This record gives sequence, structure tokens and C-alpha cells, in this order.
Amino acid sequence: MAQSTAHRRLLQEYRALTNNPGPEGTPFEGGVFPAELRFPKDYPLAPPSMKFLGEVWHPNVYPSGLVCISILHPPGDDPNHYEHASERWSPIQSVEKILISVMSMLAEPNDESPANVEAAKMWRDRRGEYEQKVRDGVRRMLGL
Amino acid sequence: MEPRNEELDVPNLTDWLNTPLAGLMPVEQAFRCHVCKDFYNSPMLTSCNHTFCSICIRRYLSTDPTCPLCRAKVEEVKLRGNWALREAVDAFVQARDTLLQVARKPVAAPSPPKRKAAEYDETHTDGRENKRHRMSTRSRRVKGGEVTAAMMREEYDAIESDDSTYSEPDDGLVACPICQKRMKVNQVDPHLEASCVGPPDEQSSSASRSRGNPNSNSRSARPAVQISPQKTRPERLPALAYSMIKDGALRKKMAELGLSTAGSRPMLERRHQEWVIIWNANCDSAKPKKRFELLHDLEVWEKTMGTRAPTSSRAAILGAQIKDKNFDREGWANKNKNSFQDLIANARRTRNQVEKQNREASEEQQKDSEKQRHEQLPEVMDLTGPSSQPEGKYKAEGKSKAEVEGEGESKVEMDIPLDEGFHPADYSPEPPHYGILEQPKEMQYVPHQGPVPPGNAEMPIQSKPTFLPQ
Repeated sequence: MAQSTAHRRLLQEYRALTNNPGPEGTPFEGGVFPAELRFPKDYPLAPPSMKFLGEVWHPNVYPSGLVCISILHPPGDDPNHYEHASERWSPIQSVEKILISVMSMLAEPNDESPANVEAAKMWRDRRGEYEQKVRDGVRRMLGL
Repeated sequence: MEPRNEELDVPNLTDWLNTPLAGLMPVEQAFRCHVCKDFYNSPMLTSCNHTFCSICIRRYLSTDPTCPLCRAKVEEVKLRGNWALREAVDAFVQARDTLLQVARKPVAAPSPPKRKAAEYDETHTDGRENKRHRMSTRSRRVKGGEVTAAMMREEYDAIESDDSTYSEPDDGLVACPICQKRMKVNQVDPHLEASCVGPPDEQSSSASRSRGNPNSNSRSARPAVQISPQKTRPERLPALAYSMIKDGALRKKMAELGLSTAGSRPMLERRHQEWVIIWNANCDSAKPKKRFELLHDLEVWEKTMGTRAPTSSRAAILGAQIKDKNFDREGWANKNKNSFQDLIANARRTRNQVEKQNREASEEQQKDSEKQRHEQLPEVMDLTGPSSQPEGKYKAEGKSKAEVEGEGESKVEMDIPLDEGFHPADYSPEPPHYGILEQPKEMQYVPHQGPVPPGNAEMPIQSKPTFLPQ
């Protein structure tokens, strides 16, 4: 059984997620946000990266879909100089925690150091337009 | 990537969900390492009182000398074994299969609602009293008293039947949950207090336990409490300050340890570091592995993270090999002759397909533009006059030659007969309007072509705005 640590750990997480699929009753319940998680070979020492495959208009999501939240950043580097070490990646985090963080990020953007400056400006100054744009994006993603 | 089914058959704490023993989920979580999410393997206590598997914390500290949970500074040399937890984990792992069998027996009672692990506040003790405790927590959780009786029945059933084929004789008696002796229901409690002799057949139950967990057999052989530990423990290896040590010295050291010295200097360092981690973690184990087993562990590391790790893909590795100057080109070419030929054939086929599609597309385009031109026809006739008509026909052929040389639409005329969907009549230059239609287009192409038929030289300027093919 030549399985790496990363492999075994991901199996555990996969089972836990399939059997116990996270919190219910959030405003995003029912929405579908296809995303891709890429795990490094030394997972869980290093964090995975997360990328939305559809269009997500959000201050903390790069136009490419790459998600920029502190839990996905290793404690060593702080590209944005505002994150506390305690918020950043540690092997005790998990896919489930990442997904929870992303859900709360979707609801409450952090515009201190935005990945999508345009979206952040719109979110700050023209909230109505921002919400309309987000809703349109979600509807498009659902094929409505 | 979807994991294979057999791989998914790993013990996981969510196994308890939707069973009457869902309360064991937080228990199991407490027995699992935060880093690897597996049961603690040689749990070690940090100076900040957190516990991790020996290998997990050692590996993490090699990248960042802090506690993964609270980020306090942690020194590797100050890690201490958490032996009590080790015993508890081993005991739980041994009991787990049996407990799960009990929990998974079909019950009449509704399963408790799904909840998140963190929300569970009840904790359970394991051991004998567990039974009573469990029942009370369950009756708290599952609302309605009518299910309690069903659950008690189920519980007795489950405990007595270690093998699932066992069926209860219909004699109006119940079996003692411990010793399986059959008696009247109201005798069970006094019997348990006073005269129960314990489990009748230890062997059968331990056999059923070991079925799902290959480790449990060896573990159950270990005495519950180690009275004389540390017989001949292997010595821990010191960490090396890699920046202070020269290549040759490092290689020598690794050769002394019996490690491979293949790969670049960073790879050597990582391999040595991994070996120190594996070795030292093994020193914390209650049952230290043999050296060759550790070498096998290092082998797994080598395949997944080390020199033989899939750097990015198989193709990338092959690419690196092929670029090597010692690469056997002839041999490679011979070996892969067939695949090369297949690839070439494939490429030709797809190119033909693409060309065919382009052709069809251009035909469509042509049809469309013809329609357009048809609408504009009267104007054309006014511009060119009847005298140009014969020339138009002549140029239609010249044009096809020009296109063969130039554009993507080139082979339209040449290959049309091969196309099944094509009706030559539609495209034949014979219909009288065709020549006229072609003419404006021709005018546009003529300047690029070289010899310009006299008399038509000014025409492009006039006709271009109207007839430019879009």
C-alpha cells in the first residue's frame, strides 16, 4: 500500500465530505459554484489552491477565478500584509474548512486588499449594481 | 479525480453518522490527529499541550517551528510522548469494528438528525459503563419514549450477536449482554450486578474485530499497560544544519545511513530530512518498526515526493529524458515507430477533416455571398455592361486558380466533386448570372494576381465598396 500522506489524508476528507456535506441553511444553498481545488504533493503541509470555473464577480476572486482568502495562504508569506498568521493555512485546516471560509467570503467580501479591484469598487460604492451583477452571474452559471 | 471504491473503504469518523451511536463521532474525532486526520500514531505532546502524531508534528516542524493548532513556538526536542492517549486510541481502534457492527444493525428507531461534529457536546466514555451512558444520551437525543424500548431490544440483540447470522431463539428469554447466558428480562440486572462471569468467547469477538483492521491483531497482543517499556530503543538521529555541511560530507553521512545519494543537493537534503523524521518518529512508537520497513516508508516518500515523484506528468519526465544528451535516439525511434506512424496518420486524418469542414463552411459562405450579390445584381449589370460578360466567364476560372494559391477557401473548386452534399448545378459556372456575379469579386482579386485584363483596371475602385466579400 504505497500511499502518500497526502493521498491518505485526502481519502479521509473525501469520505467525511461525502457523508457529511457541510452546513445547511446558508443563502448560497441551492446555488452551484463549480470550482477546482489543486492539492500540492506535500498536502497538508502546503495549502491547495482554489479556482472557480465559472464567472464569479467578487472582490476576493481574481478575474481568472482564483480565490484569494487567507486560509489558502501559507503562514510564511503574506502577500497582502494584512492577514493574521492565525487565519492562514495550517495542516489542521481541511477542505471542509476552506469551503466554509469561501462561503462566508462570498457573503462578506473583504475589500481591504481586493483581488478584483473593479468588483471591490462596485461593492463599496454601488452596492445595488454589484448585487445585480452577482445575481446575473449566478443565474448564468445555473443556465437560467 | 474520483477515488476508487475500495480506497474509500477507510475507517472514517462519519461512519457513525446516521447510526444510533452517532455520539461516537466526536469520540473518534478526539482520537484522530488534526494533521493527518487518521488515528493518532505515536501521539506526541507539544510544549503548548497539543497532541499530534509523531511523524505529523515532526514533518510540520521541519517546515515551520510552530504548533499547527495555536502557532506557539514548538521545539522538536521538547516533544513528549502522550502514552495515555496512545493506550486509549489503541483500545478504541480495537473496539471500533465491533461497535460499528452494533451501530449498523438495522433499527426500528429513526436515526438521529444529521449534525456537524463540532456541535456535539456530549462526550462518551468507553468501557463497560458505556452501555448505560450511551442509552441515556440516546434517549435524550431521540425524542419520544416509544423508541427507547426498541433501542434497548436492539442493543441487546446487537451485543450478543457478534456474527450477523446469529438468530435469537424464540424462547421468551433474553441473553445477558456480557456472558450471553439466557434468562428472563427482569433477571438481567441482578445477574449483571452479582453473577456475570464476563464474555464467554473472547476469541470469536477478537476475530471479528480484526477482520476490518489488520493492525488490531498485533495490537491486541500487546499488554494493556506496558510495565517495562524501553527495552532496546533505537537512538534518535540529530538534525543536521544543512547550510553548514558540504556536499561530500552530506553524501558520506547518507551513505553511512544506507540512504541513496542520487539527485541534486536539495533533494539530498530533503531525503536526509525525511529519513530523520521517519526514524525519529519510529523511536516514539510503542512497537518500533524494523529498519527495512522504514526504508520502505522512505521509498514511498521517494515515489511521491522525492526523485521519483511524478514531477508534473509522465510526459514531462519523458521529455526530460529525451533532452538528455546520452539519450538513445535510434532505439527510441525504433521502439516507438508504430506510435509515431499512428500519430502521423491521425494528424493527416484530422487535417483532412478540418479542410473538409472549412470547405463546407466556405461553400456556405459562397452561397450566402451569392445571395447577397444576387440582390445587388441589377447594379452590377449597370456598372459592367453587357460587354464584360464573356470576360467574366473567363475570369471565373482564373479566379479559382488565384484562390488555390492564396486563401483557406482555396480548394473549393478543386475538391467539390468529392463532396456528397454538393450539387454541381448550384455552383456550376454555366448559369448565365454566375459570370456576372463572379465579376465583381474577380475585380477585387485581379490586382493581387498580376496580369490585369485591360479594360477592367478601373473597375475595382468603383465596385469595391459594394462587393467587398465580408
